[in-house]
Amino acid sequence: MNGATSTVALTDVGKRYGRTVALAGVDLTFDRGVTGLLGPNGAGKTTLLRIVATSIAADSGEVRLLGRDPHASHADVTAVRRQLGYLPQELGYPSDMTAFGFIEYVAVLKEWNDRERRSREVRRVLEAVGLADRASVRISRLSGGQRRRVGLAQALIGDPQLVVLDEPTTGLDPAQRADLRRTLSALGHRSTVLLSTHQTEDVAALCERVVVLADGAVRFDGAVTDLVATAVGRVWLADEPGEDALVSWRTGTGRHHVVGGRPPPGADPTEPTLEDAYLLTLGSDAQRAHASS
Amino acid sequence: MTTGTQGWHADPALLSSYLAGVLDAVTGASVEQHVSRCETCRTAVGGLIEPQLLERTWAGICDAVERPRLPYPLRLARRCGLPEPTLVLLACAASLRGAWLVGAFLSLSFATLAAYASGGTALAPFLLAAPLAPVLGVAAAYGPRQDPLEALIATAPYGRTRLILLRTIAVLVSVLPVTALLGLTVPGPPWIAAAWLGPALALVPVQLALAAFVGPRFAATVLSLVWSGLVLNSLRGSVAPTWPVEVAQQGVYLAVAGAACILIAVRAGSDRQPGVAL
Repeated sequence: MNGATSTVALTDVGKRYGRTVALAGVDLTFDRGVTGLLGPNGAGKTTLLRIVATSIAADSGEVRLLGRDPHASHADVTAVRRQLGYLPQELGYPSDMTAFGFIEYVAVLKEWNDRERRSREVRRVLEAVGLADRASVRISRLSGGQRRRVGLAQALIGDPQLVVLDEPTTGLDPAQRADLRRTLSALGHRSTVLLSTHQTEDVAALCERVVVLADGAVRFDGAVTDLVATAVGRVWLADEPGEDALVSWRTGTGRHHVVGGRPPPGADPTEPTLEDAYLLTLGSDAQRAHASS
Repeated sequence: MTTGTQGWHADPALLSSYLAGVLDAVTGASVEQHVSRCETCRTAVGGLIEPQLLERTWAGICDAVERPRLPYPLRLARRCGLPEPTLVLLACAASLRGAWLVGAFLSLSFATLAAYASGGTALAPFLLAAPLAPVLGVAAAYGPRQDPLEALIATAPYGRTRLILLRTIAVLVSVLPVTALLGLTVPGPPWIAAAWLGPALALVPVQLALAAFVGPRFAATVLSLVWSGLVLNSLRGSVAPTWPVEVAQQGVYLAVAGAACILIAVRAGSDRQPGVAL
């Protein structure tokens, strides 16, 4: 895809916090569809999303969002923000606000000035995340998962072309994840959706494309099925843990799931999962990522 | 006309006249009574009403139930013609709620009372409190710590700077008139009623400029300490009690406020992220 016409085009983008390198020369383009960013803590996922959400500026490289340079002028950044829905990783909620009040507040910040149209839009996004019946409940009385969905609802206001969701699945139970999947796949037909997560299951369930980040660099970028394919022939079920395996763990059946390294004696090759492929892509970082997941 | 559900039903012409509001009072009331009890006629009425009208009415009912009520000062502002979207934004600012305004009014009243009770010799409480009221109001408008929605506000098209300026103006508009009125009642030189405005208006841009670096709370604490130091210093007897608001000092406040405004403008111009000077 030509970078100049992509919704998001990042060329050699770098970002540092003091001496820590958060992003080291990342080249990525994103278009319509749902892309998952996967990576261990500190891999640069949130930094990347904040740059795409115009929340922070990159130190180096070129950022083009919806064909514009967001740092060129106030008019450019505002034009991008009009087409942006953003769910930050940590979103504080004013505790005395209701779900309706909160979404309405964000809608006004997004320039929905007509009261009647704004009300309809607020109701539409609350409906989309399954919270229509909780509209007048105070946010402090909603569960963690419901709060996260209120956060998601505000990102959907106005059907934005670019939707950036930093860990949208935190605090959601399996049924809510299934709902989110429906919402996001409908959204992915019209918009460019970027989401970050620690969970490979989320990516497998929600995304068509996956980008694996580690130490601020892109380790893999492609279809979810292509990432899984990279692990074919490198995962086994064995009676003992692999000696030089990248990671191996005892499964419920008593056998060991061995990822990477040489196959232990008597090992049977098994179908790799996205998590296996992800761990193999991370290589030496995998033990850290696996231990934290 | 019967009211049973089995017998008579209103014909479409009668129902249309009822809906158009052209029936006389008695017939209209009878049809209304009947419709409320007769399912067949209720269904017929439903078919005669424009769907858009029904939708608008239902949306209106939802609005009345779901839309949070604006705090009292903002309902007053609405009557004065402030646009509705602006009110929604201001409703989120803590210092524009009734409780904060009442608190500010009470503390200023006590300060005025103290000045009054001392026969004009103790101007310090009023001079201490009056210029700080807008600064603390501006700081509190951000929310308990920072604004909890900081990340969202910074990436919304409305703009963070614009929101902060809007809240600042709202705080000034709500605090200054009350303080000015109380200032008129303070015993002592009559120019005191206006003189406190100098430091008050100077401290606000300084608060905004400082808050961009150290956060609104810390900035307000630093300014409160500096201003208190100035006022308390004037109590040591070497200078007049009105020293903090005399002409020479006013010049200094003006210079400091100008410097703060320049700092804000420079940051707005040089910051790589447009619209995040404050």
